[in-house]
Amino acid sequence: MTTPGWWAMALCEAVNDKTPLAVAFAGEELVLFRNAEGQAFALEDRCPHRRVPLALGRVVAAGLQCGYHGWTFDGASGRCTQIPNLRTNEPVPPRYAARAFPVSEGNGFVHVWLGEGVPDIDLPTDDYRPVGQQFTGSTIVNMSHEQYLAAMLDGPECLLNFAHVRMTDFFLGDVRKEHGRLVLERGAVWTTQILPSNFVVDYPLIVRTEVPVQGGSIRVDLLSEDETPLISLAIASGANRRGTTSLCWRGFVHAEVPAKAPLRWRTARVWHKAPFTVNSLIDGSAVAALLEAPSRDLHAARPPRLIPVSAVV
Amino acid sequence: MHAVPSTNETTTGEAPARKLRGDWTPINYDLRDTWFPVSHSRDLCARPIRRIIHAQPYYLWRENGLPIAAEFHPQRSKGEALHLSEFTGGSGFYPVVERYGYIWAWYGNPDAADPLQLPHIPFLPEDGNIPGYTQRTVRFDATSALSVENLIDLTHADFLHANTIGDGISESDVVEVEWTSETVTRTRTVAQKSVAPIMRWVGGVRAKYQDFRAVLHIHLRSNVCISYPRFRPGYDVPNLQPFLPVGKHRSRCDVTFNTTAAPAPFRYVMPRINYIIQPQDNSVVRPQNQRYFEADERLDMHSRFDKPGTRYRYQMEQLAERQAAGQFAYGSDAEPGRDISGLLGMND
Ligand code: FES
Ligand SMILES: [Fe+2]
Repeated sequence: MTTPGWWAMALCEAVNDKTPLAVAFAGEELVLFRNAEGQAFALEDRCPHRRVPLALGRVVAAGLQCGYHGWTFDGASGRCTQIPNLRTNEPVPPRYAARAFPVSEGNGFVHVWLGEGVPDIDLPTDDYRPVGQQFTGSTIVNMSHEQYLAAMLDGPECLLNFAHVRMTDFFLGDVRKEHGRLVLERGAVWTTQILPSNFVVDYPLIVRTEVPVQGGSIRVDLLSEDETPLISLAIASGANRRGTTSLCWRGFVHAEVPAKAPLRWRTARVWHKAPFTVNSLIDGSAVAALLEAPSRDLHAARPPRLIPVSAVV
Repeated sequence: MHAVPSTNETTTGEAPARKLRGDWTPINYDLRDTWFPVSHSRDLCARPIRRIIHAQPYYLWRENGLPIAAEFHPQRSKGEALHLSEFTGGSGFYPVVERYGYIWAWYGNPDAADPLQLPHIPFLPEDGNIPGYTQRTVRFDATSALSVENLIDLTHADFLHANTIGDGISESDVVEVEWTSETVTRTRTVAQKSVAPIMRWVGGVRAKYQDFRAVLHIHLRSNVCISYPRFRPGYDVPNLQPFLPVGKHRSRCDVTFNTTAAPAPFRYVMPRINYIIQPQDNSVVRPQNQRYFEADERLDMHSRFDKPGTRYRYQMEQLAERQAAGQFAYGSDAEPGRDISGLLGMND
């Protein structure tokens, strides 16, 4: 099956013109870098000469230079443009190339197009519109991508945390499909609240998680009870090797301060304290204990294999 | 500039060019009927040590000063039924010889073991009487054939080892390859190359440029690499780098750098240079190794500077094919024990 798509694979600021960045998403091992003009490129992290990861090399004017024998690859086409010691009149055959992937930057993420077809204009992170300070990060978690997405519906409290907020697993309705994502809301309370959350008549907070039907772009929002967004996060996710999942994220705090927000939440906000954490270490027993509930819809909606093994030269 | 004359190309017919495009599977070479230098002589005492060739265990110890190589541990296996293999003909003991400061153990059919097939190493004393500082053990995180390929490959030095070995700028640089059914020999002759940093800073070579010739003679079955670099002005740095195939993922190298004729401190520093160079090599061969396991329809691409390496690959494939067909005898063109001092350029 061919389901081409954009995958956000890195934060823009993590990709530079000095040190190539190795990433693994959707089972592809890629290397990202920029030229001196700031344009970002993605190549397969494998030199066609002797299969060494190109990420061990360095960025030079002509592209990315492999660290083993110095073959140099053009970022846009992947073509090998230089083999050291060749005479100037000795051309390198065009089929001497590393696989190159289309790249599009937007919303603070470097996106790479996987699969066939003409890349879309729209990016999966387009609904992330930050204002003010952003809180960012990246990690690899010890959980498969499909399970990570499933847990994002069944129990996001295992994967991330909003400061001074306790999520509940009382789902507010069923999973609905909106803009290519499965969306689910659940009640949440301030941790300052004395009574257990089951004594609450109406939840003061809502956590909305949105999990992609295709690709890896997750969105998480903390909303007030009247559905005003308080904190928004875009989390890019994708399968890394050995059943792990690559993540990188950006998030920000909206201008609105809910009337019932506790003092410590307001103070943290004034001091620009991190308003959320995305867990790098995930508690296996907590994940194992999650009941399979809304994620049942995900298994049905999300085709098991999205990216075909691309044809190669 | 490199130039790779294809002097011997005609002697092998038209097959190579086509064959070289085939994928190569360095991880699968398990070549038999050869002597492997499994240990430095000085590492062997009465207490057994363990070595591995491919998956085959070798326990080594001395009895009355003489080396023993067995496929069982002499103390641990008392009273148990031993599972003895064809590698010892059911006797449990491998053929073993001590020479050049190494313990050489036979891997293959023990009836075929012949000390005349031990490689000739003209720069090492037969009785192994050589100072301990010349000997070191390094480990490669790759199968032995990939490690050998790294050694035969000259073009990576300018990138991976530029700070130790020096840049590739010279007046002329000629690389030649010769081979038999059992060996590959690569000779590099360089005129007026900037003096290698180690020669300058440790070796006290004051000249700005030097000529050098480096001969590398590889025994294909055993990965025994006999290397003779000669620097003028400068020194000879003859060395033995035998890659012991410790399975499909790792190789072990008990090296000897015979620098006894060079002045101090160069004499002492040079044998240790592998501790600097080898991690650099490991940084590439280590990730490389797993990628030669993957069934990959994409064949490696070559430049003309890879001639020694592609020749090595081709000769290894040929040898592996012969052995797969049950032919273990040494070809008529190959005499592992022949005198190679002329080939190494030692007599010039
Ligand atoms: S492996 Fe990349 S240039 Fe040789
Ligand atoms: Fe090297």
